[in-house]
Amino acid sequence: MVYLASLAVAAALLVHQVTERWQKDLAGGLTIQVPPPTAEDAGAVYAARVDQLVRLLGEWPGVAHAQHLGPAEVSALLEPWLGEAGVPQDLPVPALIAVELAPGAAPDLSALTAELRGVAPGVLVDDHQRWLGDLLALGQTIKVGALVVVLLIIFSAVTAVIFLTRTGLAIHQQVISLLHVIGAHDAYIAQQFQIHALRLGLAGGLFGLGLAAATILSVGAWLRATENEVLPDLSLSLGSWSLLLLLPPATALVAMLTARVTVLRSLARMP
Amino acid sequence: MVRFEEVSLRYDAGPEILSQVSFALDPGSFHFVAGASGAGKSSLLRLLFLGLQPSSGRFSLFGRDVAGLSRDEKALVRRRIGVVFQDFRLLGHLTVVENVALPLRVTGQKGQKIHEHVTELLSWVGLADQLNAFPPTLSGGQQQRVAIARAVIARPSLLLADEPTGNVDDRLAVRLLYLFEELNKLGTTVLIATHNESLVARFSHPVLRLKDGSITPERAAYATSSSAAGTAA
Repeated sequence: MVYLASLAVAAALLVHQVTERWQKDLAGGLTIQVPPPTAEDAGAVYAARVDQLVRLLGEWPGVAHAQHLGPAEVSALLEPWLGEAGVPQDLPVPALIAVELAPGAAPDLSALTAELRGVAPGVLVDDHQRWLGDLLALGQTIKVGALVVVLLIIFSAVTAVIFLTRTGLAIHQQVISLLHVIGAHDAYIAQQFQIHALRLGLAGGLFGLGLAAATILSVGAWLRATENEVLPDLSLSLGSWSLLLLLPPATALVAMLTARVTVLRSLARMP
Repeated sequence: MVRFEEVSLRYDAGPEILSQVSFALDPGSFHFVAGASGAGKSSLLRLLFLGLQPSSGRFSLFGRDVAGLSRDEKALVRRRIGVVFQDFRLLGHLTVVENVALPLRVTGQKGQKIHEHVTELLSWVGLADQLNAFPPTLSGGQQQRVAIARAVIARPSLLLADEPTGNVDDRLAVRLLYLFEELNKLGTTVLIATHNESLVARFSHPVLRLKDGSITPERAAYATSSSAAGTAA
């Protein structure tokens, strides 16, 4: 169960890491798409229009820097989809202008779009929010899903411990009855079971975490080996590993408390 | 020490096992509880070691009304009672020493002192050479003595024995009774439940006779009961 819980938590942590990284990379920037040149305005006319757009953007309040991405940079961006061959000559590709906003700046995008379209009709101003919003929503869904999985696993673990403890109580009924008669406090009897549950929970938890760590590292290594450029780096941070390390003691604690409550409730039925 | 006032006992909705039983045991006394099988001797002992709750009536142990005791207080009262069960109730996975040490362990005592104390007692009951044996490997008589040692290791004020001679021959039964008398001389109040009439006849201790759920004192028991409890049913 710790194995499954570790994978669920790891998935949630990875998604959190990835979305946070993307958010950090994309927030505070704009991408301007200039429609590909037509037969009439190809060549110098189109290049001059793009340069005019870059100048206009550079002077716009709140914009720190604007840069026209050359063919090499566009090819690099499209490499995961089009391969190392780059963009075919006959494929119409829009010109891209990367805009870096000043820290804390929030320019009026409608006014900016209108101004840009006055220079180049059809210009698109993308602040990445729609894409980022969808991505964050997906990330949030995955995190909630992982939380539900973890809760279900905790519920299953608690149920399993209750049944195991009850079985233990039935098996050791003679011992419990004797300890009760010779004057053992309920807490003393419960302690014998809860220590056992704690040890089992810790051992099982560490084993499950070990398996989960092996799985996570193997998947990460496999993804790196495939030189996949679409998926982001799926390696967990040190903080995430530290969080996963808390799972075995947390599980052991849950097992211990469950065993204690179960035993005490059973003993309460004895006079 | 022990005082029963019109105590009745029934299991759930079943018939009364004990009916309005009244008696008292003075500190340092030695009593038999006699009666045929099924007369309620074991139930009476279970009441005494707080293994059951009476259906009605009042009883007190060591001067305290049992009904008013909390769970923790009941545990403390049980520590003052030693019980020898008819079936011994020894734990097969523990050695003789560990079995006998249990009542000391539950009180939180640890270490070498327990071992010395237990070893000394086991020598006294003639089991010095069986310290590390496991109960299933012992004879009935040896198991009986381990059970007795466990019952008295914590120096109980009250010793209850349920058919302690049921599994041993007459000669050993008499020896066990002498052992209980020795403990009684040390100040322990002793109450022995038995259906062995010849054994009861052989010793001159007062008898509480159980029949049809009622108790009838015999020999000096009447005087003891009357003076302490007022009535003896």
